[in-house]
Amino acid sequence: MKGIAIAFPWRISTLMFFTGIALVWLSCKKDDPPEDGEQDLTHIPYAPQAYTIVKPAHFPQIQIPADNPMTVEGVQLGRRLFYDPILSADSTQSCSSCHLPQGSFTDNLAVSTGIDGIAGRRSAMSLQNVAYATNRLFWDGRSPTLEDQALLPVEDPIEMHNTWPNVIEKLKKHPDYPARFRKAFGINTTKGITRELAAKAIAQFERTLVSSGKSKFDRYLQGELDALDDEELDGKLLFFDEGQVVGLPDAQCFHCHGGLTLTGNQYFNNGLDSVGTLDEFVDKGLGEVTGNPFDNGKFRAPTLRNIALTAPYMHDGRFQTLEEVIEHYSSHGKPAPNRDPLIPTVGFPIPGTNPVKYSGLTTYQKQALLKFLHTLTDTDFVNNPDIQNPF
Amino acid sequence: MKFSLAGGLLIAILAFIGCKDNTDSGPTSTFTITFKALYDGQPLEKFKAYDYDTYKVQLTRFNTYMSNITLLGGTSGDVKISDIEWVNFTPDLAPDNFAVPVPIAIANVPDGDYTGIRLGYGVPPNLNAQQPKDFPAGHPLSNENEYWLGWKSYIFNKIEGQVDLNSNGQADGALIYHCGSDAVFREYTFNLPVKVEPGAGITVEFDLKTLFVLNGTWLDLNNAYNQITSNDVNDVVIANELMDNFGNATTVK
Repeated sequence: MKGIAIAFPWRISTLMFFTGIALVWLSCKKDDPPEDGEQDLTHIPYAPQAYTIVKPAHFPQIQIPADNPMTVEGVQLGRRLFYDPILSADSTQSCSSCHLPQGSFTDNLAVSTGIDGIAGRRSAMSLQNVAYATNRLFWDGRSPTLEDQALLPVEDPIEMHNTWPNVIEKLKKHPDYPARFRKAFGINTTKGITRELAAKAIAQFERTLVSSGKSKFDRYLQGELDALDDEELDGKLLFFDEGQVVGLPDAQCFHCHGGLTLTGNQYFNNGLDSVGTLDEFVDKGLGEVTGNPFDNGKFRAPTLRNIALTAPYMHDGRFQTLEEVIEHYSSHGKPAPNRDPLIPTVGFPIPGTNPVKYSGLTTYQKQALLKFLHTLTDTDFVNNPDIQNPF
Repeated sequence: MKFSLAGGLLIAILAFIGCKDNTDSGPTSTFTITFKALYDGQPLEKFKAYDYDTYKVQLTRFNTYMSNITLLGGTSGDVKISDIEWVNFTPDLAPDNFAVPVPIAIANVPDGDYTGIRLGYGVPPNLNAQQPKDFPAGHPLSNENEYWLGWKSYIFNKIEGQVDLNSNGQADGALIYHCGSDAVFREYTFNLPVKVEPGAGITVEFDLKTLFVLNGTWLDLNNAYNQITSNDVNDVVIANELMDNFGNATTVK
């Protein structure tokens, strides 16, 4: 028994050592000559440093995919690619054109416009805490991972309208990028620059877009109980359905915007459109991806972190203000066969109604909720120098 | 040349892995528990209009934490095989409206014959005292979507749907059961022969129709306070009643 207990870790460490040696051996192909037109990069040191994401202590751990470990060099490369218009066909738009730091990585437009001046049909989603996104990405969930998501805007005809082969050619000929790809991923020649590595670098940078933990709400959560005033506390109670205060109903917010990132990472029909049948939705959302009519009109619940900075609201930017958003939910939205069952239950049950109806929120309750939403503003995050445009 | 050297090295590594010493305990197997959601004995189907008392319900979401999973009466006594699992029957991107079976494969379970299984419904108090940040990413309890900041508790289960009280084809009420607090954690024991050997497993079925019939009487959805439980002061009663009835709604085979 004792002997086994000693032998096991020895075997693991030995295995890791030999595996590492094998991987390094396979990657160090200095004697492979570059192909025509390709640039030898092996004179550039490849010594990536592990990158540790800085997150608030009260936030959960972040899951990093095994095939895209975070490195300082990878994050630096991704940051540049994120802000560089080199990705678009006419070199006028970058990821940051629609995801600007001051808008908590939105563009504050109802819908975004691509390089050809064509308006898209949906609003740019906030990237704050996107490292915590599970259950797919985009409003309609069409992308399984951050790495996959980063590939799509480049070739979207109403976004960057480029092709990845064209982007890769530009990156290969760039005076700076080949060395950065070498330092981040250990490629030996420019032939190693691929769309997959570009996407991995962008995803690494995007995973660093984590809250500062210094919003009023975060300070309250970390024990600074006077960080919220009485009205903001009432808004918090309404939001989180704590049910402990007589006179405050359930605003039902946290069911879809739960957890510290204030998104449940799920897809809902939140009663935006009145339809008689499931086929009537103009934008089918999740249903476009799944092909299931019951998913029509469902969209991903976005994070409410920094929500005061991300107007306009909803997937199509139909609401200009948070007041309009609150009014939408207080009035229970519009009917649809797959409207989420919680939407009509905001407020108190109205006595004597059968079937039961709910009261919605009073003017004070709406104001309290609004004030609470403003406690989610995190200017330290949007002003973090490490996530600004490096150019 | 280098490729062949590297290939040889990898073969050596694989051979190394293959020489596993297994003398410290008896044989073990991977034991699979397949969880299934039913309504009236049939696979649960989202948005299907089910008969419920004198009206109709449509169910849209069902997930639950299962915990302290313990095989009973083995040759070496009881064996806890899992602390916690999250079972989601209604993922957003399911291929159709049917609740998906959720197989959970538990490795290194001692082979042998057991006399039953004990299941925890929800998150036991020792784990419920912790928060998502306390668990490594990917752990079932790292999922902050299933954690209530307001009550500092995990949401043990979610059962959601809508009610057509007038049977006119229009939803006119909700059915939202989110249970979660130490007071509503339950454990139930199921006595049946369980054999653990390579390829073995059991099926655990939850029938929601049975869950909604409390002591022979349908949970009355005409009462607004019976439509929603988020475990607050008004509706913890319903959460208790549902959790009390979960054992009856469970079949292990």
